[in-house]
Amino acid sequence: MATPAPAEPIFAARGVTKVYDMGEVQVHALRGVEMDLYAGEMIVLLGPSGSGKSTLLNILGGLDRATAGHVSYCGWDITRAREKELTAYRRKHVGFVFQFYNLIPSLTAKENVAAVTEIAEKPMRPEEALELVGLGDRMNHFPAQLSGGQQQRVAIARAIAKRPSVLLCDEPTGALDSETGIVVLEAIDRVNRELGAATALITHNADIRLMANRVIHMANGLVGSVDVVENRLKPGELRW
Amino acid sequence: MRVLDRKLFRELWGLKAQVLAIALVLAAGLATYVMAAATLDSLQRTQRRMYREFRFPDMFSNLKRAPESVAARIAAIPGVREVETRVVAPVTMEFEGYRFPINGQIVSLPAGAPKLNLPHLHSGRLPEAHREREVLISDGFADAHKMRPGARLLVTVNGRQREVDVVGIASTPEFIYQLAPGSIVPDFATYAILWMNRKPLEAAFNMTGAFNQVAGTLDPGASLKSVLDAMNALLEPYGGLDAHGRKDQVSHRYLSEEFRQLEQMATMFPAIFLSVAAFLLNVVLSRLMATQRGQIAILKAFGYTNAAIVIHFLKLAVLIAAVGLALGIAGGAWLGSGLAGLYRDVYRFPYLDFAILPGVIGISAAYCFLCAMAGTVFAVLRAARESPAVAMQPAAPGLYRASLLERLGLERMFSQPTRMILRNIERRPLKSFLSMIGVAMSTGILITGGFWSDAVDFMVFAQLRRAQIEDLAVTFTGPVPGRALQSLTSLTGVSHAEPTRWVPSRIRFEHRSYRTALQGMTPDGSLRRLLDRDLRRVELPVEGVILTDYLATMLGAKPGDILTVELLEGNRAVRQLPLTGLVSEYVGVNAYMRLDSLNRFMREGDTVTGAFLSADMEREVGIYSRLREMPAVAGTSARMRALRAFYDTLAAQMLMFAFFNTILAATIAVGVIYNTARITLSERSRELASLRVLGYTRGEVSYILLGELALLVFIAIPVGCGIGYSLAGAMAASARTELFRVPMVVNVGTFAFAALVVLIATVVSAMVVRHRVDHFDLVEVLKARE
Repeated sequence: MATPAPAEPIFAARGVTKVYDMGEVQVHALRGVEMDLYAGEMIVLLGPSGSGKSTLLNILGGLDRATAGHVSYCGWDITRAREKELTAYRRKHVGFVFQFYNLIPSLTAKENVAAVTEIAEKPMRPEEALELVGLGDRMNHFPAQLSGGQQQRVAIARAIAKRPSVLLCDEPTGALDSETGIVVLEAIDRVNRELGAATALITHNADIRLMANRVIHMANGLVGSVDVVENRLKPGELRW
Repeated sequence: MRVLDRKLFRELWGLKAQVLAIALVLAAGLATYVMAAATLDSLQRTQRRMYREFRFPDMFSNLKRAPESVAARIAAIPGVREVETRVVAPVTMEFEGYRFPINGQIVSLPAGAPKLNLPHLHSGRLPEAHREREVLISDGFADAHKMRPGARLLVTVNGRQREVDVVGIASTPEFIYQLAPGSIVPDFATYAILWMNRKPLEAAFNMTGAFNQVAGTLDPGASLKSVLDAMNALLEPYGGLDAHGRKDQVSHRYLSEEFRQLEQMATMFPAIFLSVAAFLLNVVLSRLMATQRGQIAILKAFGYTNAAIVIHFLKLAVLIAAVGLALGIAGGAWLGSGLAGLYRDVYRFPYLDFAILPGVIGISAAYCFLCAMAGTVFAVLRAARESPAVAMQPAAPGLYRASLLERLGLERMFSQPTRMILRNIERRPLKSFLSMIGVAMSTGILITGGFWSDAVDFMVFAQLRRAQIEDLAVTFTGPVPGRALQSLTSLTGVSHAEPTRWVPSRIRFEHRSYRTALQGMTPDGSLRRLLDRDLRRVELPVEGVILTDYLATMLGAKPGDILTVELLEGNRAVRQLPLTGLVSEYVGVNAYMRLDSLNRFMREGDTVTGAFLSADMEREVGIYSRLREMPAVAGTSARMRALRAFYDTLAAQMLMFAFFNTILAATIAVGVIYNTARITLSERSRELASLRVLGYTRGEVSYILLGELALLVFIAIPVGCGIGYSLAGAMAASARTELFRVPMVVNVGTFAFAALVVLIATVVSAMVVRHRVDHFDLVEVLKARE
């Protein structure tokens, strides 16, 4: 499938740096990142531990603030946004998927999704979101009653139920075996294609890059190179 | 229901043991407040209602004897609204099947319907007009002997015995508290009030056409003082000098003192309990909220606002508080109705309106929710202020360093786990300190519970085993020659008698004065001893008076000061006498001087009004029947009976309170320690599970966790003993009244008991935590981030 002809980037990061002040030492997580993410596109962020992938993703998602530089979302500078605006931004536009699922253990699959749909503007029904990730028959299970892959798919359903314009996935398969990982990636791929949510996916696993439109390689808090994938594969076609 | 609310309920359910423990801490604090406030409230409302319905007078006066015509002159005093005169006489009684001495008062009922002090009939009827043998008896006495209308009594008035028929059981507002003269607590079996038609009583007491007691009401706005002054002036020729308002009416005064004390209980105890509970709640809730850090971050990542998150967790706190509130009010109501019932046994209210007023519930609720919120808001805000990206990461490893003990070069003494314990305590000194103080506070509260029974035991020991060691005390009908004692010592079974004399008097120092009985004692007497705080004997001076230490404090006088002593009987002499010593007494306040000096002061010869006897109590029944035959003997009381009565009434109240206190304190102790253990576990489960993975045994891991708890508890116990001792001191100081003082005594056993309860709570909590450590799912703990 061909890369969609990108007009305006939905995200544009310019000169983004992030410094963590750890008391006696300062850790430079990002040192001037430049990148774009286009509507409906899927990108994979590849890079070793400590290269700044998660920090970048968190800044894009409004979970963290850049120390310097700008990130614009549809022309709006989120680095200058106030706390309240960031909250509203996350609530309306961003879906997150984390490595460790981060489900609320006291809520069922459906309720975990409902925790988001209740505060979103035009969400899909929780059932619908769960159907989309193939968990229509597990709706009333608690996280402890689900396998890791199922939990991660609930997390994806939770992230997409608000119909986000951006889906940010931080090592969604990191804690899963390959077979389960593929099922999870299929869910993400489907959401990207069917809902058109721009998707950024962090992984350690270089093989996953083949399901993206573009691959951004990161190292030492900087973008090293950007590859365009000519023949985007379906997750089922991946091998690792 | 919103999903988040559902989350709330499920999580509450998951935390149920902890929720219950926190709620119990709060409930225990509230229960003391509800118990005391509701009891006080109920008693006061009942008192007001009874005073109103049964027409309790505003003023009273006793006198020797005045013709009935004087009543009209009293009624003519400006400000006086109603006047009722009557005849009151001391009586002794006996009835078939009861051989111990019974003392009492017989009070006349007016010919028409009574205007004041209306009798409330519990059963039976009023004596019919012109019936000379019909009487009412007080309900306390009737209860003590299970006596019903129809019973027959042998009554001795003025030395003459007669038979009367009980036609009704009654109570009046002037005898809510019924105290025999000279006793320290009511004893309903041996003290009774009788009411009888006035005519026959006048005849029996040589008071025909006359009265010896008067009571009245005032016009609204009238000045009590000017009416009393006018009454004293009017009644002086008739032997009356003691016109007084409600304030000095015996029953009312005792009630007021009791209410004052209850009020202190209703403020001081709950203040202590509640502040401890609030503090603990704060510590526990803020630590509980800290464990929710990850969840708070996720909710923020979804776009929940800080306000929404704070409200969500506040609901959690408020629900816990609501459980505490419900338990506290229910527990307080239950304890309160028990306590009020106990008061009713002593204070003979004919009924009791026990209710918990909305105000009490309102204050409890407000307090409860405030405590819960204070503990929650800051902790949640702290978590919510963190950037969600940071909060979602496992917390960065804390900055540890070698502990002080290790830096001092003692590291070789400690194993690695012990070092972890020490470093953990030292790294978070505030948290460790707060946990320690929490446990110490509960230890302290436990000590205050035990303190009451120590104090009661000491009071009894000092007063009834060291100071008053006579077997029997005899009161004469009035002043009699000292040789009357010979007839007492001649009784079979009586080995020794010591004379005494009571003279009503007023003692002044500077602008303060106090009415009491000045008691004449023989200086070498062995049956009544004046003792100081350390139970050492205080010598009676030839010239001078000795006061109960509390009375001296009330007067502002100290030994060496010159007091003005005004006798209110006989020659009404006034003299300046030095205060030469203080005696430590826990019940009542008294003034003492040498009997011979007192008689000289009165310008009388060897005169006595009573005697203390040393007797063979195996023969008491024989002694009693002989004493009854002596016309000069007005009443007899036995020390051991007084002791029993003391334990049955005053001590029962205090011990009941102490018992509640102990239960509540133990609840708090368990609640605090259990929560400390559980929260420490959830804070550190990941770390501890990692150690297990590294090959540490369950025992070693438990040691790291529980060793810290144990160390804190061992520090907390001595600190708590100090706190408890100070709290007991504060309580003793606030409970001092002229009726009784609580000695500041805490026995070693009380400290040991408190320590034991805390240790048991620790062991049980440790066992629960240990059980959890043993069942760690290592893989899960390491895989999932909490």
